Amino acid sequence: MGTSILVWSVVSHDGAARVVKPAGKIDESTATPFGERLAEEIEAAATDGLAKVVVDLSHIEYMSSRGLRGLTLGQRKASEHKVAIVLAQPNEIMREILAISRYDKVFKVFDSVAEAVAG
Amino acid sequence: MKVRFWGTRGSLAVAQKAASIGDKIAAALVAARGRTFADVAEARAFAESELDFATFGTYGGATSCVEVEAGGEGDAFIVCDLGSGLREFGLDAMGRCARGHARVYHVFLSHLHWDHICGFPFFVPVFDPAAEVVIHSGHPDAETALRRQQEEISFPVAFDWLRANISFRTLEVGTRYPIGAVTVEMIEQHHSHLSYGYKFTDAAGKSVVYSTDSEHKIDKMDAETAFVGFFGGCDLVICDTMYSLADSISMKEDWGHSSNVVAIDLCHEAEAKRLALFHHEPTYSDADLQRMHQESIRYEELTRETAPLEVLCAYDGLVVDV
Ligand SMILES: [Zn+2]
Ligand SMILES: [Zn+2]
Repeated sequence: MGTSILVWSVVSHDGAARVVKPAGKIDESTATPFGERLAEEIEAAATDGLAKVVVDLSHIEYMSSRGLRGLTLGQRKASEHKVAIVLAQPNEIMREILAISRYDKVFKVFDSVAEAVAG
Repeated sequence: MKVRFWGTRGSLAVAQKAASIGDKIAAALVAARGRTFADVAEARAFAESELDFATFGTYGGATSCVEVEAGGEGDAFIVCDLGSGLREFGLDAMGRCARGHARVYHVFLSHLHWDHICGFPFFVPVFDPAAEVVIHSGHPDAETALRRQQEEISFPVAFDWLRANISFRTLEVGTRYPIGAVTVEMIEQHHSHLSYGYKFTDAAGKSVVYSTDSEHKIDKMDAETAFVGFFGGCDLVICDTMYSLADSISMKEDWGHSSNVVAIDLCHEAEAKRLALFHHEPTYSDADLQRMHQESIRYEELTRETAPLEVLCAYDGLVVDV
């Protein structure tokens, strides 16, 4: 599979959550930087005293098991800091992938970022 | 090469219950919409073409046993694992031997868990004095496991009463073994007491991988590179896809099994041609397995970058031409 570039944007939501929006495909070629960046975002949220990292999935082309498992490793790391990872506004492809992998049973998935921040 | 699946269920053999057969018949009658059929053959033709697999058929319930046919009648049988599917293979093989097939069996054991060896005491060829059975394994204690399950406390027929010429051979990872009509390589897998995957390559260069009871650990994803290499360009990869990805990293982490999603990713990366989903969860109904198969096909489409990977769902009785 070709190399793909992940682009992130980050917005903090008034003391409630850190919202991160990776864009691109997350497979074996991008899973490592994805995991590293996610870990940094968790650290940043913990440092800011935020209890939640919201991962906005609207701009993910697709996520293979590498990316999904990266989310789980991120969640394990986040738990050490008492930070929760939640998923928001998956596009149609991501919604299907979350259902097929049953990841929608192990992560909270919200239709919108606003609901994820509030929920 | 031809691959015949004699047993595809994981962990424990299962059987259909009256209620599930009743459900299938009821669904078939609804699908027929009042049509009438002149005879059984016509009804069967309708069922075969119009009904989905879970209604018309079943994935079966025998535990792991897969035959790889390479070469001709004069060549040895190749069998992966000795699960309960072995009983039927043994009967079929005896028939083929009666028609002239060589009475030599090369067995390859993934590991020694009960669901992978429980068919051995029911394997009729071991009572054939003219048969030769070579049991290959990565485990030096394979003989202990097979002898132990025929001790008097567990089974009435002792191992020493078996009439065939039975021998054990421990294989090593990293060596290519010419055995019968194929070359065999082995890979170590993560599983309780370890397990091994096998790759069989025939003279024409076609290859089949048998990789069951293999957990791809979330905290050792780098180890998957070795599997991508092992599966590289294979014509058929048979993979343990017992759990969903979510189950495999949560409740069932460290239970030694893997998921459809990881198997597809590994095969994609390896540019393998076909994947057979295998070692099915015993609590899954035919409808559950059919759904898992459809979801796997869809996931393959969603994550495909290069050539398509054909995703099959193994069932007892499936024959794949490689
Ligand atoms: Zn097993
Ligand atoms: Zn096992």
